Amino acid sequence: MLTVCHLYPDLLNLYGDRGNVLAFVQRCNWRGLPVRVEEVNLGDPVEFADYDFLFIGGGSDREQTLMAADLKARVTGLRAAVDNGLVVLAICGGYQLLGCYYRTPEGREIPGLGLLGFYTEAGDKRFIGNVVLETELAGKKTKLVGFENHGGQTFLNGLEPLGSVLYGSGNNGRDGLEGARYKNVFCSYLHGPLLPKNPALTDHLIALALARRGYASQLAVLDDSVENMANQAMLKRLLS
Amino acid sequence: MNLRLIIAILAAKLAMYLSRLTGRGRGSSLPGMLALRIYPELLKHYQGRTRKGVIMTTGTNGKTTTSNMLADIMEQAGYRVVTNREGANLITGVATAYIKSGTLTARLNCDYAVLEVDEAAFPAVTRWIRPNRVLVTNFFRDQLDRYGELDTTVAKVLGALKKLSGDTELILNADDPLVARLFKETGRTTMFYGVCPDAALSSAAAYSREAKFCPFCGVTLVYDFYIYSQLGDFKCPQCGFARPRPDIEAKDVISDAAGIKATIRGSGAYGGTWSLFIPVRGIYNAYNALAAFAAALSLGVAPEKAAYYLTKYIPAAGRMESFCYAEKQVTLTLVKNPTGFNQALTSLLAYKGKQDVMIAINDNDADGRDISWLWDVDFEVLVRYLNQFNGFICSGRRAEEMALRLKYAGVPTCLLTTERNYRRALDAALHGEGAAVGILATYTALWPVEKILGQKAERVSNSADRVPSVS
Repeated sequence: MLTVCHLYPDLLNLYGDRGNVLAFVQRCNWRGLPVRVEEVNLGDPVEFADYDFLFIGGGSDREQTLMAADLKARVTGLRAAVDNGLVVLAICGGYQLLGCYYRTPEGREIPGLGLLGFYTEAGDKRFIGNVVLETELAGKKTKLVGFENHGGQTFLNGLEPLGSVLYGSGNNGRDGLEGARYKNVFCSYLHGPLLPKNPALTDHLIALALARRGYASQLAVLDDSVENMANQAMLKRLLS
Repeated sequence: MNLRLIIAILAAKLAMYLSRLTGRGRGSSLPGMLALRIYPELLKHYQGRTRKGVIMTTGTNGKTTTSNMLADIMEQAGYRVVTNREGANLITGVATAYIKSGTLTARLNCDYAVLEVDEAAFPAVTRWIRPNRVLVTNFFRDQLDRYGELDTTVAKVLGALKKLSGDTELILNADDPLVARLFKETGRTTMFYGVCPDAALSSAAAYSREAKFCPFCGVTLVYDFYIYSQLGDFKCPQCGFARPRPDIEAKDVISDAAGIKATIRGSGAYGGTWSLFIPVRGIYNAYNALAAFAAALSLGVAPEKAAYYLTKYIPAAGRMESFCYAEKQVTLTLVKNPTGFNQALTSLLAYKGKQDVMIAINDNDADGRDISWLWDVDFEVLVRYLNQFNGFICSGRRAEEMALRLKYAGVPTCLLTTERNYRRALDAALHGEGAAVGILATYTALWPVEKILGQKAERVSNSADRVPSVS
C-alpha cells in the first residue's frame, strides 16, 4: 500500500495542482497497486516518515506565507524523511519554499525551509507560457511538457536541475535550466497537469516510491496512447 | 466642438460600416479600440449622457447573461438602452456600444446604459463613466495567466468601488462571501439577492471551492449548506461576517428540461411574492435572472412586468443556446473556468436520455493560454452516469489534453475520440447514437462552432416552442 500526502490542498490548489495527485493515484490504480491519499491541512498532525509520496503545490502569496509558517514547525521531520528517500514533487510556490530564501523586490529575504541549497529572487518580469524540458529518468532521456507562470527566479547554486529547457524560460530565463533534483525530491515550475501529460515522470516517481519500500520497481506497462498524444501534440507545436 | 472626439467617433463608425459591409467579425470591439487610440479620453464625453442612469454588471460568471436579461427587461419596459451585448466587455467594447448608439458629437438619445464590464477593466471604465448601480455576480478563479490571483481581481473591483464619488448603489449576490464583503467594505447602499437555503439544491462538490476563509479575520468560514462552489449560507465563527438577508430571494427553484421555475420573495421596500420562469436551464441562470430582476426593480420596473419580460429571454451565443437537429436537442454552452464548467456538466447530467458530447478547448489569448484549470473541473461526476453518454468528442487546439483529462477522471478510452477539425467533430457528435447532443466550447472555439452548427441545425429561439414533436 502506497500512501500519498497531499500537503495543504485547502491552501495550495492554485491551478490544476490536483491533476498531479490524480495522475499518481490513477496510474497506481490501473496497475492494481493499492494507494491511498491523505490530505494534510494547516495544523493537522503529520508524520512525514509514514508517507511514500509527498505533493506540495503552489498558492497565492498570502496562502504561501501561512503554509511556510506551518511547515517551519515540522521541518525536522520533513528533512529526516527526505534524507531517507521520501519521494517529493514540489511545484511553483512549494518548490520555492524548499530552498534557502526568497528575496522580494524590496530586497527583503523571506527564509525558506532550507532543505535544498537553491535560492529565489523576485524578477522584473513574469515568465508565463508553455515549456518543454529534457530530463533523464532512470537513464532514459525524456521530454516533459507543461506551463509555467512565475515571477520568482530561482538559482540552483550547483544543485542538479530537473532538466534543460528546450522551449520557455525555466528557473530564471538565463541559465537554460528548469526545476531542481535532490535525492528523491523533484521540484518544478511547471504547474497544473505536469504528471498526467508526462507519464514517464509519474511512473518514475511511483517506481522510486516502491523501491524505497523494498518492492520490485518494474512497473506493468500501461496503454499510454492518450497521454503520448497529448505530450506529442505539444512537442510538435512548440519545437517544430 | 472637440475635433479629436469627432475624428475618433467618425473612424469608429467607419470601421463599423466596413465590418458590416465585408461581413467580417462582429465588430463589437475593434471600432472602440480604434476610437480610443485616437482619443483615449473619449469615454468621458458619455458620462451623464444617458437620461436616467448607468448600470454596470461585473463579476466572473454570468455577466453577459445578467446584463442582457436586464437590457431586455428595460427595453420591453419601453426605455431606450445602450448596451454591449455579446460579451464585448473591455473598455473597447464599452466604447463601441456608446459610439454605435450616439451621434458624431457623442450625443445619446437613450434612457439607460446597461453595460457588462470585465472585472479587470472595471477600474478603467469607471474612471470615465460613473455608474448609478453596480451589480456584482460572483468571483471565481478565471484565466490566471491574464488576471493574476483571485484576491487581485476582488481588490481591483473593490478599489474602483471605493473611488467612485456620489451615490452609486450596489446590487450584490448575498450567497457569495467574496461579493457580499463589498457591502461591508464600501458602506454603500446595497440591495442583496440570493437563493433560499433548500436541501434539494445543496451540492456536495467541494472541488474548486474558492474563498474558504473569512475575508476579514482569516478563519475558515462555516456553511449551513452550499449551492455551488463557495456560494451558500456562510458564516464566520469569529467576527460574525455572514450571508446577508437578501432583499430579493428565490425559493423552490426547479431546473428541468424546459427551464427554471422559482418563486421570488421580496422583502422591505420590495415586498411581495412573484413566480419566475426563464427558458434556460442551470442554477447559475437562476442567479442571473434573479440579479437582473433585482436590478430592474431597483430601477423602478414593476415586479410583475420584470418577471413577465424574463420569460421571453433569448440566450446570447454560447449561453446555453438551443438548436434542433433531426429531432435531437442540441445545446451549446461556453465554458471558461472551473465553476462554469462544473455548472455546464450539471446541466448535461440533468438530461436523462443518452447523449453525445463534444468539448472544444482552445488556448488562444482570449481563452487563456494556460489550460491547467481543466484539472480543477469535477469531470469525475460524469463517471457515475456513464450510461447516459454515447461518447465524448474532444476538439480544438487542445483536444488531446481534454481527452487526457477525461481519461484520468475515469472515462473509458473507448468513449473518447479526438478530432481537431470542428466540422468533423460536430458531424460525429450530431450523428452519434445519443438522443441529444451537448456541446461545450471555450471562447474562441465558440464562434466557429456556432457558425457551423447554425448551418446544420435549426436554432430554437425559446424552449417554450421546443416541445418535441414525438412527445
